[in-house]
Amino acid sequence: MSKVLFIISFLIIAPLLGALLSGIDRKITARLQGRVGPSIFQAFYDVLKLLEKETLVVRRSQNFYIVFFLILVIFTTGLFAAGANILLVIFALTLSSVFFVLAGYKASSPYSFIGSQRELIQVVSYEPAVILMAIGMYMVTRSFNIGDIANYSRPLALPLAGLLVAFIYILAIKLRKSPFDLSTSHHAHQELVKGITTEFSGKALAMIEVAHWYENIIALSFVYLFFAYNPLIGVLAAVIAYLFMIVVDNSFARVKWQKAFTSSWLVAFIFGVVNIIVLSYFIK
Amino acid sequence: MLKKSPWVIHYDASSCNGCDIEVLACLMPTFDVERLGIVNAGNPKHADIFLVTGSVNEANKKIIQNIYNQMPDPKVVVAVGICACTGGIFAECYNVAGGIDKILPVDVYVAGCAARPEAIIEGVAKGLAVLEEKKKKLDSMAKGLEELTVVRAELADAPEILEVQKLAYQSEAEIYNDYSLSPLRQTLEELQADFQKQIFFKAVMNNTIVGSVRVHMDGTSCYIGRITVSPVYQNMGIGKKLLKEVESSFDAALRYELFTSHKSKRNIFLLEHLGYSWFKREKVSETRERIYFEKKNKKG
Repeated sequence: MSKVLFIISFLIIAPLLGALLSGIDRKITARLQGRVGPSIFQAFYDVLKLLEKETLVVRRSQNFYIVFFLILVIFTTGLFAAGANILLVIFALTLSSVFFVLAGYKASSPYSFIGSQRELIQVVSYEPAVILMAIGMYMVTRSFNIGDIANYSRPLALPLAGLLVAFIYILAIKLRKSPFDLSTSHHAHQELVKGITTEFSGKALAMIEVAHWYENIIALSFVYLFFAYNPLIGVLAAVIAYLFMIVVDNSFARVKWQKAFTSSWLVAFIFGVVNIIVLSYFIK
Repeated sequence: MLKKSPWVIHYDASSCNGCDIEVLACLMPTFDVERLGIVNAGNPKHADIFLVTGSVNEANKKIIQNIYNQMPDPKVVVAVGICACTGGIFAECYNVAGGIDKILPVDVYVAGCAARPEAIIEGVAKGLAVLEEKKKKLDSMAKGLEELTVVRAELADAPEILEVQKLAYQSEAEIYNDYSLSPLRQTLEELQADFQKQIFFKAVMNNTIVGSVRVHMDGTSCYIGRITVSPVYQNMGIGKKLLKEVESSFDAALRYELFTSHKSKRNIFLLEHLGYSWFKREKVSETRERIYFEKKNKKG
Protein backbone atom coordinates (compact mmCIF):
# COMPACT_ATOMS: atom_id res chain seq x y z
CA MET A 1 0.00 0.00 0.00
CA SER A 2 2.75 2.42 0.93
CA LYS A 3 4.45 1.55 -2.37
CA VAL A 4 1.36 2.56 -4.35
CA LEU A 5 1.18 5.76 -2.37
CA PHE A 6 4.84 6.42 -3.10
CA ILE A 7 4.36 5.88 -6.84
CA ILE A 8 1.35 8.19 -6.99
CA SER A 9 3.05 10.93 -4.99
CA PHE A 10 6.16 10.58 -7.15
CA LEU A 11 4.04 10.94 -10.30
CA ILE A 12 2.50 14.13 -8.90
CA ILE A 13 5.66 15.64 -7.47
CA ALA A 14 7.93 14.82 -10.44
CA PRO A 15 6.39 17.29 -12.94
CA LEU A 16 6.10 20.01 -10.29
CA LEU A 17 9.74 19.53 -9.43
CA GLY A 18 10.66 19.41 -13.12
CA ALA A 19 8.85 22.70 -13.73
CA LEU A 20 10.51 24.32 -10.75
CA LEU A 21 13.91 23.08 -11.96
CA SER A 22 13.35 24.56 -15.41
CA GLY A 23 12.29 27.84 -13.77
CA ILE A 24 15.47 27.82 -11.68
CA ASP A 25 17.41 26.96 -14.83
CA ARG A 26 16.08 30.06 -16.58
CA LYS A 27 16.81 32.22 -13.56
CA ILE A 28 20.40 30.99 -13.26
CA THR A 29 20.92 31.28 -17.01
CA ALA A 30 19.73 34.88 -16.85
CA ARG A 31 22.05 35.63 -13.94
CA LEU A 32 24.99 34.09 -15.81
CA GLN A 33 24.21 36.48 -18.66
CA GLY A 34 23.89 39.48 -16.34
CA ARG A 35 20.09 39.67 -16.61
CA VAL A 36 17.38 39.62 -13.96
CA GLY A 37 15.54 36.67 -15.46
CA PRO A 38 11.95 35.48 -15.11
CA SER A 39 10.22 34.20 -12.01
CA ILE A 40 11.15 30.66 -11.00
CA PHE A 41 7.49 29.73 -11.56
CA GLN A 42 7.71 30.84 -15.19
CA ALA A 43 7.45 27.27 -16.51
CA PHE A 44 4.05 26.93 -14.80
CA TYR A 45 2.88 30.23 -16.24
CA ASP A 46 3.96 29.15 -19.73
CA VAL A 47 2.06 25.89 -19.62
CA LEU A 48 -1.04 27.46 -18.08
CA LYS A 49 -0.99 30.03 -20.84
CA LEU A 50 -0.60 27.38 -23.53
CA LEU A 51 -3.71 25.66 -22.18
CA GLU A 52 -5.66 28.86 -22.83
CA LYS A 53 -4.47 29.13 -26.42
CA GLU A 54 -6.00 27.74 -29.56
CA THR A 55 -4.53 24.39 -30.67
CA LEU A 56 -3.60 24.66 -34.33
CA VAL A 57 -2.77 21.49 -36.24
CA VAL A 58 -1.52 20.54 -39.66
CA ARG A 59 -3.10 17.13 -39.23
CA ARG A 60 -5.34 16.25 -36.33
CA SER A 61 -3.52 12.94 -35.74
CA GLN A 62 -0.27 14.72 -34.85
CA ASN A 63 -1.59 15.52 -31.37
CA PHE A 64 -2.69 11.92 -30.93
CA TYR A 65 0.98 10.88 -30.92
CA ILE A 66 1.77 13.61 -28.42
CA VAL A 67 -0.83 12.18 -26.04
CA PHE A 68 0.94 8.80 -26.27
CA PHE A 69 4.30 10.49 -25.78
CA LEU A 70 3.06 12.02 -22.53
CA ILE A 71 1.37 8.82 -21.34
CA LEU A 72 4.52 6.78 -21.97
CA VAL A 73 6.72 9.28 -20.19
CA ILE A 74 4.40 9.18 -17.18
CA PHE A 75 4.38 5.37 -17.42
CA THR A 76 8.20 5.36 -17.40
CA THR A 77 8.27 7.61 -14.36
CA GLY A 78 5.83 5.25 -12.64
CA LEU A 79 8.02 2.25 -13.48
CA PHE A 80 11.02 4.06 -12.07
CA ALA A 81 9.20 4.90 -8.86
CA ALA A 82 7.98 1.29 -8.59
CA GLY A 83 11.58 0.08 -8.73
CA ALA A 84 10.94 -1.98 -11.86
CA ASN A 85 13.47 -3.45 -14.26
CA ILE A 86 15.92 -0.78 -15.42
CA LEU A 87 15.95 -2.16 -18.97
CA LEU A 88 12.17 -1.85 -19.13
CA VAL A 89 12.46 1.76 -17.97
CA ILE A 90 15.04 2.50 -20.65
CA PHE A 91 12.95 0.92 -23.40
CA ALA A 92 9.74 2.62 -22.28
CA LEU A 93 11.59 5.93 -22.34
CA THR A 94 12.89 5.19 -25.84
CA LEU A 95 9.40 4.26 -26.97
CA SER A 96 8.09 7.59 -25.73
CA SER A 97 10.77 9.37 -27.78
CA VAL A 98 9.69 7.35 -30.79
CA PHE A 99 6.13 8.62 -30.41
CA PHE A 100 7.47 12.16 -30.17
CA VAL A 101 9.44 11.61 -33.38
CA LEU A 102 6.38 10.16 -35.10
CA ALA A 103 4.40 13.23 -34.08
CA GLY A 104 7.09 15.43 -35.62
CA TYR A 105 7.00 13.44 -38.85
CA LYS A 106 3.21 13.49 -38.91
CA ALA A 107 3.17 17.27 -38.75
CA SER A 108 4.89 17.20 -42.16
CA SER A 109 6.61 20.54 -42.25
CA PRO A 110 10.25 20.75 -43.37
CA TYR A 111 11.29 22.13 -39.98
CA SER A 112 9.65 19.45 -37.88
CA PHE A 113 10.95 16.85 -40.37
CA ILE A 114 14.56 17.86 -39.80
CA GLY A 115 13.83 18.21 -36.09
CA SER A 116 12.45 14.64 -36.03
CA GLN A 117 15.46 13.28 -37.86
CA ARG A 118 17.76 14.98 -35.40
CA GLU A 119 15.71 13.69 -32.48
CA LEU A 120 16.20 10.17 -33.85
CA ILE A 121 19.93 10.75 -34.13
CA GLN A 122 19.94 12.00 -30.55
CA VAL A 123 18.14 8.87 -29.38
CA VAL A 124 20.70 6.73 -31.17
CA SER A 125 23.51 8.85 -29.68
CA TYR A 126 22.53 8.49 -26.04
CA GLU A 127 21.28 4.91 -26.13
CA PRO A 128 24.69 3.10 -25.86
CA ALA A 129 25.70 5.02 -22.75
CA VAL A 130 22.34 4.34 -21.10
CA ILE A 131 22.36 0.61 -21.87
CA LEU A 132 26.00 0.24 -20.81
CA MET A 133 25.02 1.97 -17.58
CA ALA A 134 22.31 -0.64 -16.99
CA ILE A 135 24.82 -3.44 -17.66
CA GLY A 136 27.39 -1.91 -15.33
CA MET A 137 24.82 -1.54 -12.56
CA TYR A 138 23.84 -5.17 -13.04
CA MET A 139 27.44 -6.33 -12.81
CA VAL A 140 27.93 -4.60 -9.48
CA THR A 141 24.55 -5.21 -7.83
CA ARG A 142 23.63 -8.49 -9.58
CA SER A 143 20.16 -7.15 -10.31
CA PHE A 144 18.41 -5.21 -13.06
CA ASN A 145 15.73 -4.04 -10.66
CA ILE A 146 15.90 -0.36 -9.83
CA GLY A 147 14.60 -1.21 -6.35
CA ASP A 148 17.62 -3.43 -5.69
CA ILE A 149 20.04 -1.01 -7.32
CA ALA A 150 18.77 1.85 -5.16
CA ASN A 151 19.09 -0.28 -2.03
CA TYR A 152 22.67 -1.32 -2.78
CA SER A 153 24.71 -0.51 0.31
CA ARG A 154 27.85 0.90 -1.31
CA PRO A 155 28.23 3.87 -3.68
CA LEU A 156 27.86 2.75 -7.31
CA ALA A 157 29.71 5.82 -8.53
CA LEU A 158 33.07 4.36 -7.44
CA PRO A 159 33.11 1.12 -9.45
CA LEU A 160 31.08 2.80 -12.25
CA ALA A 161 33.02 6.07 -12.48
CA GLY A 162 33.57 5.69 -16.22
CA LEU A 163 29.89 5.01 -16.85
CA LEU A 164 28.97 8.04 -14.74
CA VAL A 165 31.17 10.20 -16.99
CA ALA A 166 29.54 8.69 -20.08
CA PHE A 167 26.06 9.29 -18.64
CA ILE A 168 26.80 12.89 -17.64
CA TYR A 169 28.04 13.44 -21.18
CA ILE A 170 24.74 12.37 -22.72
CA LEU A 171 22.73 14.11 -20.00
CA ALA A 172 22.95 17.24 -22.13
CA ILE A 173 21.03 15.41 -24.86
CA LYS A 174 18.32 14.20 -22.48
CA LEU A 175 17.90 17.64 -20.89
CA ARG A 176 17.94 19.32 -24.35
CA LYS A 177 20.89 21.52 -23.49
CA SER A 178 23.59 23.08 -25.62
CA PRO A 179 25.81 21.74 -27.21
CA PHE A 180 23.35 18.93 -28.02
CA ASP A 181 19.98 20.70 -28.32
CA LEU A 182 19.77 19.82 -31.98
CA SER A 183 16.15 18.78 -32.41
CA THR A 184 14.58 21.57 -30.38
CA SER A 185 15.63 23.89 -27.59
CA HIS A 186 13.76 25.83 -25.00
CA HIS A 187 15.75 29.00 -25.17
CA ALA A 188 15.33 31.71 -27.69
CA HIS A 189 18.00 30.11 -29.85
CA GLN A 190 16.43 30.14 -33.24
CA GLU A 191 17.43 27.23 -35.33
CA LEU A 192 15.06 25.39 -37.66
CA VAL A 193 12.34 27.71 -36.35
CA LYS A 194 11.67 25.44 -33.35
CA GLY A 195 12.71 22.06 -34.69
CA ILE A 196 10.48 19.13 -33.87
CA THR A 197 7.96 21.24 -31.92
CA THR A 198 7.47 23.80 -34.71
CA GLU A 199 3.99 22.64 -35.68
CA PHE A 200 2.63 22.17 -32.18
CA SER A 201 0.70 24.85 -30.37
CA GLY A 202 -1.72 25.31 -27.50
CA LYS A 203 -2.58 22.17 -25.57
CA ALA A 204 -0.27 19.91 -27.60
CA LEU A 205 2.71 22.13 -26.82
CA ALA A 206 1.68 22.21 -23.16
CA MET A 207 1.69 18.41 -23.16
CA ILE A 208 5.18 18.36 -24.68
CA GLU A 209 6.37 20.74 -21.96
CA VAL A 210 4.89 18.60 -19.18
CA ALA A 211 6.42 15.47 -20.71
CA HIS A 212 9.75 17.28 -20.76
CA TRP A 213 9.46 18.03 -17.04
CA TYR A 214 8.98 14.31 -16.42
CA GLU A 215 11.90 13.44 -18.74
CA ASN A 216 14.22 15.78 -16.84
CA ILE A 217 13.32 14.13 -13.57
CA ILE A 218 13.86 10.64 -15.05
CA ALA A 219 17.28 11.67 -16.38
CA LEU A 220 18.30 13.12 -13.02
CA SER A 221 16.94 10.03 -11.25
CA PHE A 222 19.50 7.97 -13.15
CA VAL A 223 22.22 10.22 -11.75
CA TYR A 224 20.67 9.68 -8.32
CA LEU A 225 21.01 5.88 -8.76
CA PHE A 226 24.80 6.23 -8.91
CA PHE A 227 24.78 7.70 -5.38
CA ALA A 228 21.69 5.96 -4.01
CA TYR A 229 23.55 4.39 -1.06
CA ASN A 230 22.88 7.66 0.74
CA PRO A 231 19.68 9.42 -0.45
CA LEU A 232 20.94 12.83 0.64
CA ILE A 233 24.15 12.50 -1.36
CA GLY A 234 22.11 11.10 -4.26
CA VAL A 235 19.84 14.15 -4.41
CA LEU A 236 22.85 16.43 -4.00
CA ALA A 237 24.60 14.68 -6.89
CA ALA A 238 21.53 15.09 -9.10
CA VAL A 239 21.30 18.79 -8.25
CA ILE A 240 25.02 19.31 -8.91
CA ALA A 241 24.69 17.47 -12.23
CA TYR A 242 21.80 19.78 -13.20
CA LEU A 243 23.71 22.92 -12.21
CA PHE A 244 26.69 21.64 -14.16
CA MET A 245 24.45 21.20 -17.20
CA ILE A 246 23.22 24.79 -16.88
CA VAL A 247 26.82 26.03 -16.92
CA VAL A 248 27.60 23.80 -19.89
CA ASP A 249 24.46 25.05 -21.63
CA ASN A 250 25.67 28.62 -21.33
CA SER A 251 29.31 27.94 -22.22
CA PHE A 252 29.00 25.95 -25.44
CA ALA A 253 27.66 26.64 -28.89
CA ARG A 254 25.48 24.04 -30.55
CA VAL A 255 27.47 21.38 -32.44
CA LYS A 256 26.57 19.65 -35.68
CA TRP A 257 24.79 16.30 -35.47
CA GLN A 258 27.85 14.40 -36.74
CA LYS A 259 29.86 15.65 -33.80
CA ALA A 260 27.08 15.01 -31.31
CA PHE A 261 26.75 11.46 -32.58
CA THR A 262 30.42 10.47 -32.86
CA SER A 263 31.49 12.16 -29.64
CA SER A 264 28.75 10.63 -27.51
CA TRP A 265 29.46 7.16 -28.94
CA LEU A 266 33.21 7.65 -28.42
CA VAL A 267 32.72 8.74 -24.82
CA ALA A 268 30.27 5.89 -24.23
CA PHE A 269 32.68 3.31 -25.65
CA ILE A 270 35.90 4.65 -24.20
CA PHE A 271 34.63 5.35 -20.67
CA GLY A 272 31.76 2.88 -20.60
CA VAL A 273 33.29 -0.17 -22.25
CA VAL A 274 36.63 0.26 -20.49
CA ASN A 275 34.75 0.57 -17.21
CA ILE A 276 32.89 -2.67 -17.92
CA ILE A 277 36.05 -4.54 -19.00
CA VAL A 278 37.81 -3.47 -15.80
CA LEU A 279 34.75 -4.48 -13.78
CA SER A 280 34.58 -7.91 -15.39
CA TYR A 281 38.22 -8.42 -14.41
CA PHE A 282 37.50 -7.71 -10.74
CA ILE A 283 34.05 -9.27 -10.45
CA LYS A 284 34.06 -12.98 -11.06
CA MET B 1 -2.10 33.44 -17.31
CA LEU B 2 -1.83 35.06 -20.74
CA LYS B 3 -0.40 38.11 -19.04
CA LYS B 4 2.47 36.29 -17.42
CA SER B 5 3.95 34.55 -20.42
CA PRO B 6 3.64 36.51 -23.65
CA TRP B 7 5.70 34.96 -26.40
CA VAL B 8 6.64 37.33 -29.15
CA ILE B 9 7.35 36.89 -32.82
CA HIS B 10 9.24 39.73 -34.44
CA TYR B 11 9.05 40.39 -38.15
CA ASP B 12 11.09 42.97 -40.01
CA ALA B 13 8.92 44.32 -42.83
CA SER B 14 10.68 46.97 -44.91
CA SER B 15 12.31 48.47 -41.85
CA CYS B 16 15.63 50.34 -41.88
CA ASN B 17 16.68 48.02 -38.99
CA GLY B 18 16.63 50.91 -36.51
CA CYS B 19 13.51 49.57 -34.75
CA ASP B 20 14.73 45.96 -35.08
CA ILE B 21 17.86 46.75 -33.16
CA GLU B 22 15.74 48.42 -30.48
CA VAL B 23 13.49 45.34 -30.32
CA LEU B 24 16.57 43.17 -29.81
CA ALA B 25 17.87 45.67 -27.24
CA CYS B 26 14.79 44.81 -25.16
CA LEU B 27 16.06 41.24 -24.84
CA MET B 28 19.52 42.38 -23.69
CA PRO B 29 20.58 42.72 -20.03
CA THR B 30 19.76 46.44 -19.76
CA PHE B 31 16.04 45.93 -20.37
CA ASP B 32 15.73 42.14 -20.10
CA VAL B 33 12.10 41.57 -21.01
CA GLU B 34 12.42 37.91 -20.02
CA ARG B 35 11.84 38.99 -16.42
CA LEU B 36 8.27 39.68 -17.54
CA GLY B 37 8.16 36.23 -19.12
CA ILE B 38 8.52 37.64 -22.63
CA VAL B 39 10.37 35.30 -24.98
CA ASN B 40 11.26 35.88 -28.61
CA ALA B 41 9.67 32.71 -29.96
CA GLY B 42 10.69 32.91 -33.61
CA ASN B 43 7.79 30.63 -34.49
CA PRO B 44 4.36 32.05 -35.30
CA LYS B 45 2.63 28.92 -33.96
CA HIS B 46 4.10 29.51 -30.52
CA ALA B 47 3.62 33.26 -30.46
CA ASP B 48 0.99 35.45 -28.78
CA ILE B 49 2.21 38.85 -29.85
CA PHE B 50 3.21 39.86 -33.37
CA LEU B 51 5.77 42.68 -33.36
CA VAL B 52 6.11 44.23 -36.79
CA THR B 53 8.64 46.88 -37.66
CA GLY B 54 8.72 48.80 -40.92
CA SER B 55 6.07 49.42 -43.52
CA VAL B 56 4.15 47.03 -45.73
CA ASN B 57 5.42 46.68 -49.27
CA GLU B 58 4.19 44.60 -52.17
CA ALA B 59 6.74 41.83 -51.56
CA ASN B 60 6.08 41.25 -47.86
CA LYS B 61 2.30 41.71 -47.83
CA LYS B 62 1.67 37.98 -48.16
CA ILE B 63 4.39 37.06 -45.65
CA ILE B 64 2.92 39.31 -42.98
CA GLN B 65 -0.56 37.91 -43.55
CA ASN B 66 0.81 34.38 -43.51
CA ILE B 67 2.59 34.87 -40.18
CA TYR B 68 -0.56 36.40 -38.70
CA ASN B 69 -2.75 33.54 -39.94
CA GLN B 70 -0.41 30.96 -38.47
CA MET B 71 -0.62 32.40 -34.96
CA PRO B 72 -3.08 30.66 -32.64
CA ASP B 73 -5.85 32.77 -31.08
CA PRO B 74 -5.92 34.92 -29.00
CA LYS B 75 -3.26 37.05 -30.66
CA VAL B 76 -2.23 40.70 -30.74
CA VAL B 77 -0.47 42.80 -33.37
CA VAL B 78 1.88 45.55 -32.21
CA ALA B 79 3.15 47.98 -34.85
CA VAL B 80 6.57 49.20 -33.74
CA GLY B 81 7.89 52.49 -35.06
CA ILE B 82 6.41 55.18 -37.25
CA CYS B 83 6.89 53.17 -40.47
CA ALA B 84 4.82 50.30 -39.09
CA CYS B 85 2.17 52.76 -37.90
CA THR B 86 1.69 54.85 -41.04
CA GLY B 87 4.46 54.12 -43.52
CA GLY B 88 6.53 56.98 -42.12
CA ILE B 89 8.88 58.72 -44.52
CA PHE B 90 8.46 55.82 -46.95
CA ALA B 91 4.67 56.23 -47.14
CA GLU B 92 4.77 57.75 -50.62
CA CYS B 93 7.19 55.26 -52.16
CA TYR B 94 5.80 53.45 -55.20
CA ASN B 95 6.29 50.03 -53.62
CA VAL B 96 4.99 50.87 -50.14
CA ALA B 97 1.38 50.18 -49.24
CA GLY B 98 1.54 52.02 -45.92
CA GLY B 99 1.32 50.99 -42.27
CA ILE B 100 0.63 47.48 -41.03
CA ASP B 101 -3.02 48.38 -40.44
CA LYS B 102 -3.51 48.37 -44.21
CA ILE B 103 -3.53 44.57 -44.10
CA LEU B 104 -3.84 43.47 -40.46
CA PRO B 105 -5.94 44.61 -37.49
CA VAL B 106 -3.32 46.45 -35.40
CA ASP B 107 -4.05 46.54 -31.66
CA VAL B 108 -1.23 48.73 -30.37
CA TYR B 109 0.78 51.45 -32.11
CA VAL B 110 4.24 52.28 -30.80
CA ALA B 111 5.48 55.65 -32.05
CA GLY B 112 9.07 56.69 -32.59
CA CYS B 113 11.84 56.68 -35.17
CA ALA B 114 13.37 54.53 -33.98
CA ALA B 115 10.95 53.39 -31.26
CA ARG B 116 12.73 53.39 -27.90
CA PRO B 117 13.01 50.08 -25.99
CA GLU B 118 10.95 51.54 -23.13
CA ALA B 119 8.20 52.41 -25.60
CA ILE B 120 8.32 48.92 -27.14
CA ILE B 121 8.02 47.30 -23.70
CA GLU B 122 5.09 49.57 -22.90
CA GLY B 123 3.50 48.64 -26.23
CA VAL B 124 3.80 44.93 -25.42
CA ALA B 125 2.39 45.55 -21.94
CA LYS B 126 -0.60 47.35 -23.51
CA GLY B 127 -0.93 44.43 -25.90
CA LEU B 128 -1.28 42.08 -22.93
CA ALA B 129 -4.45 43.86 -21.82
CA VAL B 130 -5.83 43.46 -25.36
CA LEU B 131 -4.85 39.78 -25.26
CA GLU B 132 -6.93 39.22 -22.10
CA GLU B 133 -9.84 41.06 -23.68
CA LYS B 134 -9.66 38.92 -26.80
CA LYS B 135 -9.58 35.78 -24.71
CA LYS B 136 -12.80 36.88 -23.00
CA LYS B 137 -14.36 37.57 -26.39
CA LEU B 138 -13.35 34.12 -27.67
CA ASP B 139 -14.84 32.48 -24.59
CA SER B 140 -18.10 34.35 -25.02
CA MET B 141 -18.11 33.37 -28.69
CA ALA B 142 -17.79 29.72 -27.75
CA LYS B 143 -20.70 30.21 -25.36
CA GLY B 144 -22.60 32.15 -28.02
CA LEU B 145 -22.60 29.12 -30.28
CA GLU B 146 -25.03 27.45 -27.93
CA GLU B 147 -27.15 30.56 -27.98
CA LEU B 148 -27.15 30.76 -31.77
CA THR B 149 -30.63 31.50 -33.02
CA VAL B 150 -32.00 31.45 -36.56
CA VAL B 151 -35.00 33.74 -37.09
CA ARG B 152 -36.80 35.65 -39.85
CA ALA B 153 -34.93 38.82 -40.82
CA GLU B 154 -36.60 42.19 -41.26
CA LEU B 155 -35.91 45.03 -43.64
CA ALA B 156 -33.97 46.83 -40.91
CA ASP B 157 -31.43 44.01 -40.91
CA ALA B 158 -30.52 44.63 -44.56
CA PRO B 159 -27.35 46.73 -43.98
CA GLU B 160 -25.89 44.22 -41.55
CA ILE B 161 -26.76 41.27 -43.79
CA LEU B 162 -25.08 43.00 -46.73
CA GLU B 163 -21.94 43.59 -44.70
CA VAL B 164 -21.71 39.92 -43.71
CA GLN B 165 -22.42 38.88 -47.30
CA LYS B 166 -19.53 40.96 -48.63
CA LEU B 167 -17.15 39.50 -46.06
CA ALA B 168 -18.32 35.95 -46.63
CA TYR B 169 -17.95 36.05 -50.40
CA GLN B 170 -14.33 37.23 -50.22
CA SER B 171 -13.13 33.65 -49.93
CA GLU B 172 -15.23 32.63 -52.93
CA ALA B 173 -13.79 35.48 -54.95
CA GLU B 174 -10.31 34.35 -53.95
CA ILE B 175 -10.95 30.78 -55.15
CA TYR B 176 -11.97 31.92 -58.65
CA ASN B 177 -9.83 35.07 -58.67
CA ASP B 178 -12.96 36.91 -59.74
CA TYR B 179 -13.91 39.93 -57.64
CA SER B 180 -16.90 40.76 -59.82
CA LEU B 181 -19.19 38.16 -58.23
CA SER B 182 -22.70 39.55 -57.95
CA PRO B 183 -22.97 39.13 -54.13
CA LEU B 184 -19.91 41.37 -53.79
CA ARG B 185 -21.34 44.07 -56.03
CA GLN B 186 -24.85 44.16 -54.62
CA THR B 187 -25.96 47.52 -53.29
CA LEU B 188 -28.11 48.15 -50.26
CA GLU B 189 -31.05 49.23 -52.44
CA GLU B 190 -30.89 46.01 -54.42
CA LEU B 191 -30.82 43.96 -51.26
CA GLN B 192 -33.76 45.87 -49.84
CA ALA B 193 -35.62 45.20 -53.08
CA ASP B 194 -34.89 41.48 -52.59
CA PHE B 195 -36.87 41.65 -49.37
CA GLN B 196 -40.02 42.19 -51.47
CA LYS B 197 -39.54 38.93 -53.37
CA GLN B 198 -37.77 36.70 -50.89
CA ILE B 199 -37.90 35.66 -47.28
CA PHE B 200 -34.71 36.22 -45.30
CA PHE B 201 -33.46 34.25 -42.33
CA LYS B 202 -30.63 35.47 -40.13
CA ALA B 203 -28.33 33.62 -37.74
CA VAL B 204 -27.77 35.71 -34.62
CA MET B 205 -25.03 35.27 -32.05
CA ASN B 206 -24.28 37.71 -29.22
CA ASN B 207 -26.77 40.16 -30.77
CA THR B 208 -24.83 40.32 -34.05
CA ILE B 209 -25.80 38.81 -37.37
CA VAL B 210 -23.26 36.16 -38.34
CA GLY B 211 -25.04 34.62 -41.32
CA SER B 212 -28.09 34.73 -43.52
CA VAL B 213 -30.02 32.88 -46.20
CA ARG B 214 -32.80 33.90 -48.58
CA VAL B 215 -35.67 31.76 -49.83
CA HIS B 216 -38.60 32.01 -52.22
CA MET B 217 -41.30 29.57 -53.26
CA ASP B 218 -42.19 28.97 -56.86
CA GLY B 219 -44.97 26.44 -57.28
CA THR B 220 -43.99 23.42 -55.24
CA SER B 221 -40.27 24.18 -55.39
CA CYS B 222 -38.44 26.06 -52.71
CA TYR B 223 -35.45 28.06 -54.02
CA ILE B 224 -32.67 28.74 -51.54
CA GLY B 225 -30.08 31.41 -52.23
CA ARG B 226 -26.86 32.86 -50.84
CA ILE B 227 -26.11 31.03 -47.66
CA THR B 228 -23.59 33.40 -46.10
CA VAL B 229 -21.61 32.97 -42.92
CA SER B 230 -19.21 35.58 -41.60
CA PRO B 231 -15.60 34.34 -42.06
CA VAL B 232 -14.78 34.30 -38.34
CA TYR B 233 -17.75 32.05 -37.62
CA GLN B 234 -17.27 29.55 -40.43
CA ASN B 235 -16.78 25.84 -39.69
CA MET B 236 -19.07 26.07 -36.68
CA GLY B 237 -22.13 24.51 -38.22
CA ILE B 238 -23.99 27.79 -38.80
CA GLY B 239 -24.62 27.10 -42.49
CA LYS B 240 -26.10 23.74 -41.59
CA LYS B 241 -28.36 25.31 -39.01
CA LEU B 242 -29.58 27.89 -41.54
CA LEU B 243 -30.42 25.21 -44.09
CA LYS B 244 -32.23 23.07 -41.52
CA GLU B 245 -34.28 26.06 -40.45
CA VAL B 246 -35.31 26.74 -44.05
CA GLU B 247 -36.30 23.13 -44.58
CA SER B 248 -38.45 23.02 -41.46
CA SER B 249 -40.10 26.38 -42.21
CA PHE B 250 -40.96 25.34 -45.75
CA ASP B 251 -41.94 21.74 -45.18
CA ALA B 252 -44.87 22.15 -47.58
CA ALA B 253 -42.43 22.33 -50.51
CA LEU B 254 -41.90 19.16 -52.56
CA ARG B 255 -38.30 19.94 -53.43
CA TYR B 256 -35.53 22.33 -52.42
CA GLU B 257 -33.15 23.72 -54.97
CA LEU B 258 -29.96 25.75 -54.72
CA PHE B 259 -26.67 26.18 -56.53
CA THR B 260 -23.03 26.69 -55.72
CA SER B 261 -19.84 27.08 -57.75
CA HIS B 262 -17.85 24.02 -58.75
CA LYS B 263 -14.66 24.72 -56.81
CA SER B 264 -16.40 25.55 -53.53
CA LYS B 265 -15.60 22.20 -51.98
CA ARG B 266 -16.87 23.10 -48.51
CA ASN B 267 -20.32 24.04 -49.77
CA ILE B 268 -20.56 20.90 -51.88
CA PHE B 269 -19.47 18.78 -48.94
CA LEU B 270 -22.07 20.37 -46.68
CA LEU B 271 -24.85 19.93 -49.22
CA GLU B 272 -24.05 16.29 -49.89
CA HIS B 273 -23.84 15.73 -46.16
CA LEU B 274 -27.37 17.11 -45.78
CA GLY B 275 -28.77 14.81 -48.46
CA TYR B 276 -28.67 17.10 -51.49
CA SER B 277 -27.63 15.73 -54.87
CA TRP B 278 -26.61 17.65 -57.98
CA PHE B 279 -28.65 17.49 -61.15
CA LYS B 280 -27.36 20.23 -63.44
CA ARG B 281 -24.08 21.98 -64.28
CA GLU B 282 -23.92 25.30 -66.04
CA LYS B 283 -20.96 27.39 -67.19
CA VAL B 284 -21.20 31.00 -66.03
CA SER B 285 -17.72 32.19 -67.01
CA GLU B 286 -14.41 30.86 -68.32
CA THR B 287 -13.31 29.75 -64.89
CA ARG B 288 -16.53 29.16 -63.02
CA GLU B 289 -19.26 26.55 -63.25
CA ARG B 290 -22.49 26.49 -61.31
CA ILE B 291 -23.69 23.20 -59.87
CA TYR B 292 -27.39 22.94 -59.10
CA PHE B 293 -28.38 20.80 -56.15
CA GLU B 294 -31.78 19.51 -55.18
CA LYS B 295 -33.39 17.56 -52.39
CA LYS B 296 -36.83 15.98 -52.46
CA ASN B 297 -38.97 16.55 -49.43
CA LYS B 298 -39.71 13.15 -47.94
CA LYS B 299 -42.99 14.32 -46.42
CA GLY B 300 -44.22 15.60 -49.79
